Amino acid sequence: MTTAGLYAALAAANHCAAGCSQKDVVWQSGKLRLYRYRPTSQKSTHPSRAVPLLIVYALVNRPYMMDLQEDRSLIRGLLAQGLDIYLIDWGYPDGADRFTTLTDYIDGLLAGCVEHILRTHGLDALNMLGVCQGGVFSLCFTALHPQRVRNLITMVTPVDFHTPADLLSKWVRKIDVAAWVGNGNVSGDALNQLFLSLMPFRLAHQKYMDLFMGTPTRAQIETFMRVEQWIFDSPDQAGAAFQEFVVRLYQENSLVRHQLEIAGRKIDLRALTLPVLSLIGSKDHLVPRDASLALEGLVGSKDYTTLEFALGHIGMYISARAQHEVPAAIARWLATR
Amino acid sequence: MGDDPWSQWKAFAAQTPHHAFTPFLDSAECFAGAARKYLETAAHPQTTDEAARTFSHFLREQSMAFFQPPWSADATTGGAPWAAMLDAPALGLTREHQLRWQRTADAARRVAEAQRRLQCLWSDALRDAATAFAARVAPSGIGTPRVGAPSVATLHSLYDSWIDCAEEAYAGTAHSDSFCNALADFVNASSQWRREFAASVEQWSKLTDLPTRSELNSLTLRLKSVEEQLRALRLQHELRDAASKPRPTARASRTRRAKRNPKS
Repeated sequence: MTTAGLYAALAAANHCAAGCSQKDVVWQSGKLRLYRYRPTSQKSTHPSRAVPLLIVYALVNRPYMMDLQEDRSLIRGLLAQGLDIYLIDWGYPDGADRFTTLTDYIDGLLAGCVEHILRTHGLDALNMLGVCQGGVFSLCFTALHPQRVRNLITMVTPVDFHTPADLLSKWVRKIDVAAWVGNGNVSGDALNQLFLSLMPFRLAHQKYMDLFMGTPTRAQIETFMRVEQWIFDSPDQAGAAFQEFVVRLYQENSLVRHQLEIAGRKIDLRALTLPVLSLIGSKDHLVPRDASLALEGLVGSKDYTTLEFALGHIGMYISARAQHEVPAAIARWLATR
Repeated sequence: MGDDPWSQWKAFAAQTPHHAFTPFLDSAECFAGAARKYLETAAHPQTTDEAARTFSHFLREQSMAFFQPPWSADATTGGAPWAAMLDAPALGLTREHQLRWQRTADAARRVAEAQRRLQCLWSDALRDAATAFAARVAPSGIGTPRVGAPSVATLHSLYDSWIDCAEEAYAGTAHSDSFCNALADFVNASSQWRREFAASVEQWSKLTDLPTRSELNSLTLRLKSVEEQLRALRLQHELRDAASKPRPTARASRTRRAKRNPKS
């Protein structure tokens, strides 16, 4: 591809829409949308697969990363395994959401999604997959409502926020978060700047140079642009919840000390006795592996599995290797529980 | 347009009406030029060390611009025209307003001071990166120079090597207490500046009878409280309903799936 061709191809890919699997909004509350994905597989339904899997995504980026395009979709892989998939889209908070707290998100909105799904299926408990910050929410919800979750999967989820490799945690520990947030929201752009600053030479320079110096195919360009969209399509963060998350978790590390409070109740991970699967990316620069590995020593579950992949944070969702390995591993683990 | 990708990009950039790639193109062009010079000079044993030093110095200088903040620190230093009022006693009718502006100016001064500390640390990181890079591209390293035009692969390899060195050195600095402290001071001073500035804007808004953020926040909190009470009442109502009805079986609920509709 010539230079002019690459330039044109990048511009043409500006509007490539992310998301490929068919889904329906089945419940909503405020800006939250709960999606249910339409089945793609005729696989016989194993008893455990009749239990829906709710994916709890993070607040800091958009959930379409889970279903970026046909050949880069964790959700598509899970559907192909015959699983019944629900996904939470938290929406884009605006100024009116600035006082939304972690309790509102976890014991209000997430609880509302769970209740809707359980009512729909006539079940007492569902399977839950929490991604990154969504994994923390899932842990909290399960601790508050253990009877509502049958199996819990955490994916690139930070639990110990004070591990030596956690640069983000070191940076924010001395920041006056209350002053930073004020009474407002936290800009998604500011957070992106922070994330880029973790590895500025690679993330803000090398990846573009590699693209310009290589000979990418049209499909690779479109994938690049979809990922680019996802990286920079960052919602502002509701100020109150953001402040709680940074202070209680990043600064005080209260989850590992069983001191985090949600809805006026302590989150005691030792009370989690359900089966837990932890999916870890050993090359994750945002959530160091040690931050996730800590979970095993904190929960009370005797059925605990860790699966580690030699992938980075984003690679866990969209790398070619992840497509082959992660959905199958999840389905295998669920099938026996 | 030549075969060299950097030359191609440079020529192409001159034709395009948009400048989104310009920083990268300029960067690539500068890098290619410096790398060529390095490879030519380093091919002679007596100038190898000097070539590595010159090349690493170039990389350090070029990358400093990478960290340049978009605003000028000069505007917040003692040279600003209002600097003299920083220590003035606050007296009389306007004393509260004066104190607010003094706090704003002091926060701006602390922002600039923290920013200078951060830039020093970035500069140190780049110095370490340049030193590591010079050692790596020395004759025994990966970039063993040879006479003749460097291939694109050679340039790419040098570039990747520089990125590795830069990230490694930056990580060393970024994890240090001095960097964490400087960053925290920068964010904290910026937060104070924004808060004081917002207070001044609110003052002007009140004078002109415009709604202020504080008033909106107050209303938002009242609304949130009402919503929470409403949600609690709804929940009580649903629980009462559920208690009075038999729970649906799994089979019955599956038959309903085809009929499900969004619910608000």
